[in-house]
Amino acid sequence: MKLAYYPGCVAQESGKELDRSTRYVCRALGIELAEFPSFSCCGSGFVDEANEVLNVAINVRNLAIAERAGLDVLTICSTCQGMLSLANLRYRDPRVKERVDAALRPLGIEYRGTVKVKHLLRVLTEDGGIARLQQKVVRPLGAVKIGAFYGCHLLRPADELDWESAEEPHAFEDLLRAVGATPVEYRGRVMCCGFPIQFVKPETAGRIAGRQIEDAKAHGADAMATPCPLCHISLDAYQNRAEKAVGHPLDMPVFHLPQVVGLALGATPEELGLARHLVPVAPALAKMGSAAPSR
Amino acid sequence: MANSTVRATFDVYRYDPAHDAAPRYQRYELDLAPHTPVLTALLRIRAEIDPTLTLRYSCRSAICGSCAMQVNSKSRLACETQIGPELARDGRIVIEPMRNQKVLRDLVVEQEPFWRNYDKIRPHLILDPTKPMPEGRENPMTPEQVERFRETPRCIACAACYSACPAVEADPGFPGPMALAKLYRFVVDPRDQAHQDRLVRIQTDGLWLCLRCHLCTEACPKDVRPSERIRDLKEMAIAAQGGTEPGSRHAIGFKENIRERGLLSEMKLVRQTSGIGGLLGEAGQGLRMVRKKPEILKRPHRIEHLEEVEKIYESLDHREAPP
Repeated sequence: MKLAYYPGCVAQESGKELDRSTRYVCRALGIELAEFPSFSCCGSGFVDEANEVLNVAINVRNLAIAERAGLDVLTICSTCQGMLSLANLRYRDPRVKERVDAALRPLGIEYRGTVKVKHLLRVLTEDGGIARLQQKVVRPLGAVKIGAFYGCHLLRPADELDWESAEEPHAFEDLLRAVGATPVEYRGRVMCCGFPIQFVKPETAGRIAGRQIEDAKAHGADAMATPCPLCHISLDAYQNRAEKAVGHPLDMPVFHLPQVVGLALGATPEELGLARHLVPVAPALAKMGSAAPSR
Repeated sequence: MANSTVRATFDVYRYDPAHDAAPRYQRYELDLAPHTPVLTALLRIRAEIDPTLTLRYSCRSAICGSCAMQVNSKSRLACETQIGPELARDGRIVIEPMRNQKVLRDLVVEQEPFWRNYDKIRPHLILDPTKPMPEGRENPMTPEQVERFRETPRCIACAACYSACPAVEADPGFPGPMALAKLYRFVVDPRDQAHQDRLVRIQTDGLWLCLRCHLCTEACPKDVRPSERIRDLKEMAIAAQGGTEPGSRHAIGFKENIRERGLLSEMKLVRQTSGIGGLLGEAGQGLRMVRKKPEILKRPHRIEHLEEVEKIYESLDHREAPP
């Protein structure tokens, strides 16, 4: 399988461990990643708030790059997934299309609308992906209980994104079972991480993140895992804000999705960049029977 | 098949703050046809088993918005939710009151804060008294003007969105999805003459606390799509006033940020929105982050064919003054 790899901004900066672990997992599973250094940022929902048509246009440009290569797009971020999918959809509105085309045509950019945008979670789980993954697992994750945390834009608005049920998704839990972990069912798994207002009103964002982390904890989670690097920032890098909001320590390790898969495929914590997290993952690794990352 | 029934198990939230120390769940079992609405089942429980069960309802036809409650943890109108699919999926039906509102008794919640937020957006036409209504006819609208209302006139104020909203839960300063969808409805109304003032006020009255998580759009039984109209309000507020608040500054800053290199420069954005304090974070958090993730100090590389992005901006956007 060959896909146009859309890493998004965070995985190329503060979330480099996500890029690294994605590459590890794709190499191990025979997913070929085609790279396009001309891909731009998806706008992360913020550009959409400032200028909807501009946001569609920059993402149609991204989609057109993949279309020229005849490839579908692989995303590793719930927000990139949402923005690129919505661009695909909104471009079908003739009034939007007219304005977007007027901006793209002079640049020689044409988009026929043939590209599918798929998140890594979907690529790993659909069309027999679970069974293929299970065959490659060399180190089942054992007794560790993991709370999947989906990220809003991977699920909603469900009628526009055309994949999982927004209220009862199960792909992530299926994936966790496939690598030998025990998924934890909790309401917070489909809720918001607070990221969009981390820089607008940090104390409210912290309260929202804290709510979901506490919920996972109350249902027995040893760790959480997310397919979205923005959720990861909110839940891991800013877990101190969440702790301040709830008034006590949370100590919740938070994995990126491909890190969990990578561990089961035999990767070392170093190969997955696990030492880059703000909240130490060592307690969760111990439950998996792995040693803590050394750097 | 028409007469076939299923054994339905209901676990219903019961709480009377005047007498109970804590809420409890009471189990009721009865035989019902699978197409029975949850509301009908609850009314049968009240009539045949337990007259003390307290709930709010009126029209039974998904018009009045009175019977919104949580059915198996999801915001639903009890009158239009059939028991069959719920039982098939979860094996039982857990009935709870709406979230984010104080429970008065059993399934009845205090609606006062919800309506106060609604009143605050001034849910009525604001007209210019110097401009009289057109003589002899009501205000005519073109089909294009009517279309701008989108789905917002469908709202029945059931508060399902309010119950589902994490911003309402976390911050009393957020007016809630319903109030904002209503505000949109007045902002696009061609008869209203306070558009600008409404947009300016809402910038400081919680608009930018919306998380665009779309949980409201998922919960709405009438497909009003509040989160999408809140997005529209944000764009209109920026057009009306520019970046006056941290939220609008952040959106504009983000837009300008990726214009420079095609990719986000994380540090620069944080500095723009939150100043140097936000950059360093609280209690040394910023320094810890730099130690773990040193590349955030570097500017991202420039994408190839950045000039295409610049041309797209030139066509579709006007340059904003730096915040």
